[in-house]
Amino acid sequence: MSDKIKDKSLGMWYLSGILGGVKITFAHLIKNLFSPSERVTLNYPEEQHTYSPRFKGNHILTVKNDGSLRCTACMLCATNCPADCISIVASEHADPHVEKFPVKYEIDILRCVYCGFCEEACPVDAIRMGPEWQIPDLADGNFIYDIQHLAYRPQLKGGIISVVDEQERHQAGI
Amino acid sequence: MVKCTINGQTVEVKEGTTVIEAMHQEGMKIAHYCWHPGLSVAGVCRLCMVEIQGNPRLQVGCNTVVTEGMNINNTSDKVKEAVQWGLDFHLINHPLDCPVCDQAGECGLQDQYMEFGQYDSIMAEPKQKKHKVVDLGPTVVLDSERCILCSRCVRFTTEVSKTNELGIFNRGDHSEVGTHEGTSLDNNYSLNTVDICPVGALTSKDFRFKQRVWYLKEQKTICNGCSTGCNIKVYFNTEGFFRVKPVYNEQVNGYWMCDQGRDIYKFANKQARYQGGKRYNQGQWVTDEAPGHVAMQASKVIAQNKNKTALILTGQYTVEEYEIAIQSFLASVGNSIGIKNIYHWNSHISEINNFDGTLLRGDRNPNTKGLIKVFEKYNIQTQVEDLEKAIEAGQIDTAIVAGPEDLTYYKQSNQKMVSLISALKNIVWLQSTINPELEEKVKSNLFIIPMKSYLEKSGTFINFNGIEQSFRAVTTVMSQALTLGQAIGLMMGDQKAVLPAAETAADHAVKPFVQESRPASQVMAEERKKNEFIYKRGATNER
Ligand code: SF4
Ligand code: SF4
Ligand code: SF4
Ligand code: SF4
Ligand code: FES
Repeated sequence: MSDKIKDKSLGMWYLSGILGGVKITFAHLIKNLFSPSERVTLNYPEEQHTYSPRFKGNHILTVKNDGSLRCTACMLCATNCPADCISIVASEHADPHVEKFPVKYEIDILRCVYCGFCEEACPVDAIRMGPEWQIPDLADGNFIYDIQHLAYRPQLKGGIISVVDEQERHQAGI
Repeated sequence: MVKCTINGQTVEVKEGTTVIEAMHQEGMKIAHYCWHPGLSVAGVCRLCMVEIQGNPRLQVGCNTVVTEGMNINNTSDKVKEAVQWGLDFHLINHPLDCPVCDQAGECGLQDQYMEFGQYDSIMAEPKQKKHKVVDLGPTVVLDSERCILCSRCVRFTTEVSKTNELGIFNRGDHSEVGTHEGTSLDNNYSLNTVDICPVGALTSKDFRFKQRVWYLKEQKTICNGCSTGCNIKVYFNTEGFFRVKPVYNEQVNGYWMCDQGRDIYKFANKQARYQGGKRYNQGQWVTDEAPGHVAMQASKVIAQNKNKTALILTGQYTVEEYEIAIQSFLASVGNSIGIKNIYHWNSHISEINNFDGTLLRGDRNPNTKGLIKVFEKYNIQTQVEDLEKAIEAGQIDTAIVAGPEDLTYYKQSNQKMVSLISALKNIVWLQSTINPELEEKVKSNLFIIPMKSYLEKSGTFINFNGIEQSFRAVTTVMSQALTLGQAIGLMMGDQKAVLPAAETAADHAVKPFVQESRPASQVMAEERKKNEFIYKRGATNER
């Protein structure tokens, strides 16, 4: 291969590109050293980026005023999910006006593509995509989020209240 | 015959046909709730409006008999408007809780709204509150708010089950379906009301909340609950079978089936089945073996006891299986001593002619007639009594038993059979469902070979009336399980028995991808169309 390049001066053609790159790197190094406020990178994890409130991160199951799950186990989210990562087992609720509720609601977060279709399908604002985006964990099983994690993890401080209120709905007669 | 014109098309129908029936015969669409081909005409939903030339007012199609030269139309704006307003009235007090309603996906309200409605409601009043989750009986739950008061369920209990448990109480928008004082909806046909309820007002306790209907596939087959052999469809997905519904067959079951037949799917689900072959030898269990392997092991002991091997058959297998099984049995061992050592085991021999007046028969085997027919062909006339005698006389020391699929009705009979044969030297037991009695009692050399349930194989049942009904496999639950023919074949030393039937040149011919060339197990989108409530009824008369 190499003996095809006979002319030694032609073999140095890449040097100018490398030197150009080194120049840019050093220019940034000097800039960052002397004016830290203009840095484009963060000192993660001490510093963290704040995302837009519309960011689609880890799921949250909302709750009613009394703290019970808002979800009606209609399985529309599971039907809509393109990654097929939501699994729900429904059961009969003691209150006839609630009727149906999930005894199991699991999201396999490693299969989730964060498309937000579940949020969109839900008729009662029971599932939302929250602002959290970190999912690191140790064991495989921890990536399957259950009701306890989705609705009552410590970060949610007792649960996020759904905008759809059962009482109001019943008064309005719908 | 009467000639009339419907939507510009000339139609010829039998005398006395109603407009709605005529339209279904022609496969035309017409909205309706209260009319059901298996019930009397009530004319209460006012949705089947048609315009008849010469008549200034719209008429209900279900209660108008076609007369000569009638010019009928249900596509005019006048009809469309009437149907739309009819629907709006039905929806005034409807809670629209489709997300929690089990009927969603196969609901008459949803379907007809999409087909004929599609408007915004202009009702401003609050909705009428009624009872939710009313326990009507052991099988059915009622949600009064969802009920559209079509009275199908009430007519069913008066006309078909003749038990009269249901009625409509109160007046106007306070009307509610309910059971009469002191009764509950408790008869052997109660679940048919769930099928005919066009909305989600009546739901089955067994199926409630188990699955959304759009996750299920359906496939037609025959019920193996009794010798009536009702035509049914089973609903299933990868998690198993979930429910059973009747399919219309004029000669066998009409539109209905009994509640006992609704349970047949449970015996085919994994939880009830032998997951692998089992052997018991000198006080030790060997479990989780491939069924074929157990059969091969059994074939060794059978080969040593050729003259003393008996084959005991229940009426729960298909005609095709009996043919192969008896043939290979006779060819190899059964005939060697000049006696045909094959016996018919029927649990309900004394009740075989019992009949509940509607569908359910005392003979709980789907294919008793089929077994008898094959027996006749090979000139075998033995019963369990003959087996008892033969065992007493010491003529038998190896028994091959093709056990029943559903043990519910074989409970006592199973105990008797197990104690009868438990003293024998070798027992080969073929069954799909787990048989704890057998495993407990038998202390001799035992082979248990898992069978395919009837939902996993194609074949023919002959019902009490001699009607031959063929069905095809619904799906596979236990891929290793054997059919009766395969198991007996293997035990008789024919190792080719488990291979699929020889392929012909036709199987290899390149076929164009058209509907006819699809594999038998493939369910097409049209077949799953939940809108059959509107589209298909006239053509196939289902539901
Ligand atoms: S975000 Fe998308 S992929 Fe993830 S659970 Fe929801 S629907 Fe499924
Ligand atoms: S989260 Fe919403 S869409 Fe999903 S099952 Fe619950 S109520 Fe239905
Ligand atoms: S419960 Fe169902 S079948 Fe009975 S009247 Fe109401 S809607 Fe009709
Ligand atoms: S009557 Fe017999 S065949 Fe019909 S559904 Fe009932 S058990 Fe099945
Ligand atoms: S179907 Fe004719 S009135 Fe109901």
